[in-house]
Amino acid sequence: MRSAVLTKGVPDFSEGAVSFDEDGHLERGKTPTVMNPNDAFALEAALQTKVRHGGHVSVMSMGPPGYESVLQEAMASVYADDLYLLSDRECAAADTWATAITLCSALEKYQEEVRKLDLVFAGFKTADGETGQTGPQTCWGLEWPIVTHAIALDVDPDERTLRAKRLVEGDVDEIETVEASLPCVVVTDPEFEPTYRKASHRLEHKRLRAETEARAESYDEHLTTWDHVDMNLDPDYIGLDGSPTIVSSVDPIPKAPSEREATMIEPDDRDGMERLLEEMQPFAAGD
Amino acid sequence: MVDPDEHTVDELIEELDTIDDEAELNAILEAERGGRDRKTAREAIEERIAAVGGEGDATEGEYEETAETVGDEAGGEEAGDGELEEEAEEESATAEEPAEDEDEDELSHPTRDKRHVRALEDGHYEDVWVYCETQEGELLDVSKEMLGKARELMDDYAAEFGDEENVVAVVIGDDVEGLAEECLAYGADVAVYHEDPRLERFLHKPYAEITAHMARGQGSAESTNWREYDEPRYFLFPATNNGRDLSAQTQAELDSGLASDCSGLFIGEEEVANPVKTGEPGVKKTFERVLHMKRPDFSGFEYSTILCLDNPGRDFHPQGCSVIPGSFEPIEPDPEREGLVVEHEMDLAEDWFRVEITDHDRLEAGVDLTGHEVIVCLGRGIGDDPTQGIELGLDLVDAFDDAALGITRGIVTSSYQFEGHVEEYTKEERQIGETGQVVAPDLYVAAGVSGAVQHKVGMDESETIVAINTDPDARIRDFSDYFVEGDLFEVLPRLTEAIEAGELRLEAVADGGDD
Repeated sequence: MRSAVLTKGVPDFSEGAVSFDEDGHLERGKTPTVMNPNDAFALEAALQTKVRHGGHVSVMSMGPPGYESVLQEAMASVYADDLYLLSDRECAAADTWATAITLCSALEKYQEEVRKLDLVFAGFKTADGETGQTGPQTCWGLEWPIVTHAIALDVDPDERTLRAKRLVEGDVDEIETVEASLPCVVVTDPEFEPTYRKASHRLEHKRLRAETEARAESYDEHLTTWDHVDMNLDPDYIGLDGSPTIVSSVDPIPKAPSEREATMIEPDDRDGMERLLEEMQPFAAGD
Repeated sequence: MVDPDEHTVDELIEELDTIDDEAELNAILEAERGGRDRKTAREAIEERIAAVGGEGDATEGEYEETAETVGDEAGGEEAGDGELEEEAEEESATAEEPAEDEDEDELSHPTRDKRHVRALEDGHYEDVWVYCETQEGELLDVSKEMLGKARELMDDYAAEFGDEENVVAVVIGDDVEGLAEECLAYGADVAVYHEDPRLERFLHKPYAEITAHMARGQGSAESTNWREYDEPRYFLFPATNNGRDLSAQTQAELDSGLASDCSGLFIGEEEVANPVKTGEPGVKKTFERVLHMKRPDFSGFEYSTILCLDNPGRDFHPQGCSVIPGSFEPIEPDPEREGLVVEHEMDLAEDWFRVEITDHDRLEAGVDLTGHEVIVCLGRGIGDDPTQGIELGLDLVDAFDDAALGITRGIVTSSYQFEGHVEEYTKEERQIGETGQVVAPDLYVAAGVSGAVQHKVGMDESETIVAINTDPDARIRDFSDYFVEGDLFEVLPRLTEAIEAGELRLEAVADGGDD
């Protein structure tokens, strides 16, 4: 099985890492870039496929040269075999459609020059853009079948099919079992869970981890960078120039007038804390 | 010939990389099947066959032709199994060299992706279209909400611009004519539906093909003669798992853009200085009748307003978006409202059904946070030690008679690593807020919760709200009754202990201040 995993670097929104200016705008320069948290599930799905069936996993990302560290992180977590960074000034400020065109072109180049792919994995929304559109749009360009919101995956290499469970939202939430032919795009849901039932799978998992540690150290030897010329992309169709949408304004969500007058309490303010306890005590568990 | 029996799989893969002859590779595959028949070995050989077969399978001419035969794609350019790739290779065997060795800077063949880009220029656009998602034979609530909003937008539109444009509902499924009629009662002027037993449940490819086909006004004359425009002006989709996917793929097919997960929409003009959109640096251009799509940002404290604007020489219509369920009110349904119901006609290619739904089931309702006396909700303030943060929250829950643990969206989408025993409490099913559960307990304890507006709507009907936060300016202060200005890692254990003991012990207070 040959897989590609699409990943993105995003600002690290975890407490302590993220930096906002006084107006509450994200300060990207001061906020470190990490792998998009949701992409971890796509990587897990690719790893599961590799552990169970063997093969090769390539990780691909579009972003500035600084994203190499994101790819290194991805390599270590998925025991990836190699890395592809699509990096070019012309790609900057792309919206989802311009991004999808770039990813699609890179995947086509990969298939023409490296190998045919069986599976392309992507995560659900990115932590910064939060659109959830890029995976399905990349798939539209590839003209492959797609399974989104996958929470469990089984691939049958002999039949060249996959079976997946996926989540459907609506007025009631549902779970579907679907079968699709390969090649296929799989977008994992944050609820995705890999399973390794057999002992041999767990051993293989361990073996791959050991093997990858060294590779992730010298990840740059396994890194290929493509620019727009490599991908034969017309600058009018990528980056800002190729993006249908723009962000016209970012406004603070208007602060509603105070609805309640909060009593301020310092933790060491005994009177205040006691008053608070009086409010809570009626709900205390009985003996 | 390489005898696969004599090699380990790894060795074999190396050997294979030196072989370009497909016939020889096929022979090796046969030998493997007849011999050790290792799955991984077979795969490696098949991969190599595909790789050899895949080289140079696309030429400039093919792409351009595809780009121009937009209406014919139902013919199925791609088939379900790998064998097709070999056929493609034969067809283009004469074009060994990709166009890349021509002058690189010129990119002499246009973007090869143009086959995916079916651009319009100077098109004519009208109406707002609404994709009305269904489930179990009924319109989703969000479908009715979008119709209500679209009605309001178009009534205002007529008042402001003097043009009567329609609200057009799209319904796809099995046996959906009745639902299309129902859309009229909820505000649509026209309802276009496509029904087919194979479409009983959502499938990406056929649903997106049909939606785009409808939008372009393709189909028989009698099903399209109610309209005289190229494509819709605006297109709304529900921001559900399937609705969002459909929005992305339909807009891709129509070569346009969209904003996802919007909760505010209005139409108005916009002056833009971006040279990509104006065509000329330094010149401002006013775009008329622009759909302003407002979406709450990742931070939870900002709205971004997204616009989908034409470039010079490349139209980006319809202006699309997906809409968060619950954002708008449906109108009071009026069964007497008149309108047009149109059945859409289109042949569906077999090839579009490469994904098959073999089973479906309602998901067991997850955790129900409503109906408890007390909710303890944790936010990103647990970030210093997420696992301990959850544990402290659970300890406080246990101190109450009838309490449950909730979390903010910030926790659900965080990259925190939780240890196994608390991980089950960190899933989306415990999320409180706009896209989670709405609770109104007697006592709501929000620890480390900043108070984004999306969170507020999920809890501000609570009787008594207690916030614990290190930042006295946190927004949650404005809708709290008590605000303990302190670190939840210190305050929660104190509260738990005091509630269990029935009194606030002096020692606990004294011990706590260890700075």
